[in-house]
Amino acid sequence: MKTIPQQLIHAYKYAPWRAQLQLIGVFSLIVVLVALIAGVYLNVTARTATIGREIQVMEEDILELQRDNADLENQLGLLTSIRTMERRAEELGFQSINPDEVLYVSVSGYAGRQAASLAPPPGPVTVPDSSLPPEYTQTLFDWLKGTTLQTIHDPSLDWITGWVVRPVEAKESGSHDGSP
Amino acid sequence: MQSHVSLLRWRFTSIGAAFALMGVVIFVQLVRIQISPQAETFRKQSDLYAGVWKTISPARGQIYDRWGNLLAGNRTVYQIGVEMQAVEDPASIAFAMQVVLGEDYDKMFALASPEANPDLIYTVLADYVPAEKVLELQQFAEEMEGTFGENQPIRNLDGLMTTPHLQRSYPENDLASNVLGFVSREGRGYFGVEEKYNELLSGISKTVWMPTDPNQIEALPDIPPGASLILTIDREIQEMIENVLDEEVSFWGAESGTILVMDPKTGEILAMVVTGRINLNEYWKFGEQIGGKTPFNKAIGQDYEPGSVFKVLTMASALDAGAVKPETEFLDTGLIEVGGAQIRNWNWGAWGPQNMTGCLQHSLNVCLAWVGTELGSKQFYEYMRAFGFGHSTGIDLAGEVVGRLRLPGDSNWYAADLATNSFGQGLSVTPAQMLMAVSALANDGQMVVPHVLLGIVNNDHQYNPPPQIAGYPISGESAQAITQMLANSLESEASIALVDGYRLAGKTGTAEIPTPYGYTSNQTNASFVGWGPVDDPRFLVYIWLEKPTGSIWGSEVAAPIFSELVRRLVVLLNIPPDGVQLGLNP
Repeated sequence: MKTIPQQLIHAYKYAPWRAQLQLIGVFSLIVVLVALIAGVYLNVTARTATIGREIQVMEEDILELQRDNADLENQLGLLTSIRTMERRAEELGFQSINPDEVLYVSVSGYAGRQAASLAPPPGPVTVPDSSLPPEYTQTLFDWLKGTTLQTIHDPSLDWITGWVVRPVEAKESGSHDGSP
Repeated sequence: MQSHVSLLRWRFTSIGAAFALMGVVIFVQLVRIQISPQAETFRKQSDLYAGVWKTISPARGQIYDRWGNLLAGNRTVYQIGVEMQAVEDPASIAFAMQVVLGEDYDKMFALASPEANPDLIYTVLADYVPAEKVLELQQFAEEMEGTFGENQPIRNLDGLMTTPHLQRSYPENDLASNVLGFVSREGRGYFGVEEKYNELLSGISKTVWMPTDPNQIEALPDIPPGASLILTIDREIQEMIENVLDEEVSFWGAESGTILVMDPKTGEILAMVVTGRINLNEYWKFGEQIGGKTPFNKAIGQDYEPGSVFKVLTMASALDAGAVKPETEFLDTGLIEVGGAQIRNWNWGAWGPQNMTGCLQHSLNVCLAWVGTELGSKQFYEYMRAFGFGHSTGIDLAGEVVGRLRLPGDSNWYAADLATNSFGQGLSVTPAQMLMAVSALANDGQMVVPHVLLGIVNNDHQYNPPPQIAGYPISGESAQAITQMLANSLESEASIALVDGYRLAGKTGTAEIPTPYGYTSNQTNASFVGWGPVDDPRFLVYIWLEKPTGSIWGSEVAAPIFSELVRRLVVLLNIPPDGVQLGLNP
């Protein structure tokens, strides 16, 4: 006949099979975790490798397209070279004009043939706007204060801190143009 | 039961120990390899396959004429090489290279044979192969495999690789070749615009590490292409003048010819033509086509004694200094002595009383020597320096020479030089220098720097550099005066340089060619400088024919060329006759 304390000890003592099961459980957990980490690592690595390979292929494509563009421009140059154009013009029955055959007509506003313009001229030099949005610069306290004050729209509350708080946008635009 | 449990525990312990031992052995082996003497060899082997250093060169900028026509571009060519590991049949590779590209079989076999090159991973067999040849090579490979089949002895081109890259191309072949220059296979520009603006055109190459491990791949750096250039050259005028010059040089039996056409108001060179041009797509034949001693571009690279065309500058200087006026009278006796040297006219004759226009019209050496003395050596050479002689013009082409102008005080300057220099003897200039100096006469005293660059296209923007003023050697009034004198002199003698409907100013030149013993040869340089229309000059033309044999006189050789050119120029430049111009712009 077991006493009550003995019964309690017996009830709460791990059976050997439970200790073994616990060991197996911990080991399995570790294995699963390692497998999980390995799986995630493999997945990320495989995706990185795939993307890296795609980058390689796209860079090759870019170079190929650049070469194709150069080839096409060169072919256009060959097809429109002056000797080719002269030959084609002659084949079409055109001939060189003599000065006394030219008829000059006055066209008001016509400035004559203009030299090639292959790209727009550079615009005025502007200082790039390097200021970051306020989300990147203001502190949490600034944001809370600004938001709160904007919400209640009550400038009289400025006396609480003694600071003059202006809307963020106004503050930013003020700093852009350098005004005090 | 107890013994069974012990046995099981022992077995598990043994298996665990065995695995642990294997782990320890693997770890020890890893450490041992790292510190072993062969470790360095292994590292080098792995480095070989870890990636490659690749130099990425941006596409070379293109060159256009003033209307946007392509003068220099790029085209794809191929490097042919072999990857040694993949080569199965070096004999077939060598055979294919011999048949398609005409390469030497033994050389190709030696290069493509893995046994002969055990340390090589890749070797180049040929480069700059055009796309058509590569296509032929591919067809050859297909035919070869089709012919021999799979069960026959190995006959394939496995291992043969083609790598595309860009090469300079000139669609107009030899047009304006002296202006453009060329680009070597190493990518460096030689002569002309290609050399002068090499850095701008070629862009900035970058060498980057390209790993084979895809995990380490990074995007290539952004390498912008080289800047493209728009030249002031008008290809239609250039081609027209090339044709005319070739014909005239052949007709007059001249050794060479040079013609320059410039806008006197801006200094824009519309055409710069020399004989001895090369097909720029075969620039390596430069020596055969031009010869080693001849400058690539005589317009800037060869100085010569200009002769009588120089008289316009002497007269302009004297007018500007107030030493003479157009109506100043001079009695030409056919002889003048300056500094101990006797100066005579071109025909050894005396022309009697002449005003300054007459002196220019008849190109009198005696009169101009006198004008030089009236001006005085100090002022004369100050004016010549102001006109740009003795230093470069600043033209944006590679290979410019500065000529020779001896000054008072130099050890080799003599008092007689003042007289001879006054009519263009005893000094040497380039056609480009003459063009720049005379631009002051045609442009109201304002001298402009001749240039060929009209615009630069870079970063998606076009920059057009403004014309540069080289100075104001004479006043606008003096320029107008000399222009009228020259126009009047051409009209008075009904010169063959004239063109109906257009008032032109100009001057011929016939210069004897000095030898080590003086002016003893019968050979001359025939020149002409002229501009027009006089009221609003749109073109300035300089012509030089070297050693013509059909006639030695500039008035017979160069003047008609000027006339012929102007007849065609006015059409290409849309310049109406003076009468029509007045009607159009009353």
